[in-house]
Amino acid sequence: MRLTLDRIGHAFLGRPVFENLSLALGDGEVVALVGPSGCGKTTVLQIAAGLIDPLRGRVRRHYRRHAVVFQEPRLLPWLTARDNIAYGLAAAGMGKAERCAVAERRAAEVGLFARDLDKYPAELSGGMRQRAAVARALAIDPEIVYFDEPFTAVDIGLRRVLQDLVIAASARDKFSALFITHDLSEAVRLAHRIVVLSGRQEGIVAERVLDGSPGERDDRAVFETVQAWAVDPAFADLFDGDRQ
Amino acid sequence: MRHGLAFLGWAGRYLWSGWAGAAGLFCIAAAWQAGHELYGSFILPAPLETVREVAKLAQDEAFRHAARQTAERAGLGFTLSVLIGTVAGIAAGYSFAAMRLMRPMVTVILGVPPIAWIVLALIWFGASGGTAVMTVVVASLPISFAGGLEGVATRDRGLDAMARSFGAGASMRLRTVTAPHMVSYLFPAWTTTAGSAWKVTVMAELLSNAGGLGGDLASARALFDIPRVTAIVLVTVGFALFSEYALLQPIRDRLEQWREAGRPWGVKR
Repeated sequence: MRLTLDRIGHAFLGRPVFENLSLALGDGEVVALVGPSGCGKTTVLQIAAGLIDPLRGRVRRHYRRHAVVFQEPRLLPWLTARDNIAYGLAAAGMGKAERCAVAERRAAEVGLFARDLDKYPAELSGGMRQRAAVARALAIDPEIVYFDEPFTAVDIGLRRVLQDLVIAASARDKFSALFITHDLSEAVRLAHRIVVLSGRQEGIVAERVLDGSPGERDDRAVFETVQAWAVDPAFADLFDGDRQ
Repeated sequence: MRHGLAFLGWAGRYLWSGWAGAAGLFCIAAAWQAGHELYGSFILPAPLETVREVAKLAQDEAFRHAARQTAERAGLGFTLSVLIGTVAGIAAGYSFAAMRLMRPMVTVILGVPPIAWIVLALIWFGASGGTAVMTVVVASLPISFAGGLEGVATRDRGLDAMARSFGAGASMRLRTVTAPHMVSYLFPAWTTTAGSAWKVTVMAELLSNAGGLGGDLASARALFDIPRVTAIVLVTVGFALFSEYALLQPIRDRLEQWREAGRPWGVKR
């Protein structure tokens, strides 16, 4: 297990978000964490990534490097795309020439052109910025990547492209991933296992292991799985907007 | 090579934008000339007369010494106030307790009239440059403080969290996330400080009789040498213009090139 969350609990200003949540991430495993808005998905991710400390419980990490892809690209507006992609490497203390070479290789992998690398984020389209954010995460050769609803703001076609990119990268680089989303079909497309977080502070209410590996499922299989789950009581929170 | 060319292009553009600034200055000169023609040489010497006087003064060793003295005092005052104010402002921006503690102090400093500081400094330092330097520091310290404080307080927490997720330490985050953001808060504060440093230095020198351009101004006033008075004013304004447009603005322009990139081509300055 690369990451183990052991009975963690958290509250904001006394309002509990979740209690007794346990979750483990195996080697090379992509786990999708789904749940309705406001149920604490992002909080789980921030605790796992060490950005906030849980009030209760323990986090055990058996890896050296992780990276986070946020909902917004979060590129530094005063750095060029190249320097943004190389940011994690700079933080790790890698030399300038070396990290630029890595950044260029990773940029090509996510479909950014070399001519775009000298541009500032303001000059890039929304999709290119999110590609750069993914490249920045992959550049440090992470053992775990945390995705926090990264593709919610891009159009449906580009979202597929970016999902395929994550599927290919995780198969190639063998990193584990915790992928947060509220889109069940996205979860079914790219995860090995799906974990459902309750919208009523009840922690994890369901867990499903998907057949086959992420790249192999065709659209029909994804569609049928989501349809079948729509009537499953475990996923009721996701489909019922009135419950909040 | 490519960087060198880009730098030359930028420098050329910056110098060329000076024409617009010169046009503004000549508008002032025209109004000045109109005032001169209305009231005569004794009340308001003509711009050309003043420029001739400046040229004459520039030959004068004593005047050059006085100008250098004022420049040193204003420069020292500016450096100290910017350094202390900015560092204190950054500290206050990061620490809530420090902010609570320092805000009222700054308000107190701001509330004491500068003229009172001059009187106090006169007692402490006597008729020396120390009076001018101290007055500049206390008069302009709150501006840099407020700039540093606001710059840190309004930093993007999301970017900060991103940097932390990559394991960036506090100094790297200050350098790469907070400092570039602070530039847009600090530079207006610093240009205001630079402008007021010259004014306050001359004022303090005049009142404390401590030589420099202010001392020169006092003697010119006593002799009713009006062209000399306007010439000294012109030199002071020239210093202020130089410090803003030849020293501070180019640095800001270089640091904020990324903002330029976000603008559509038609709006570029």
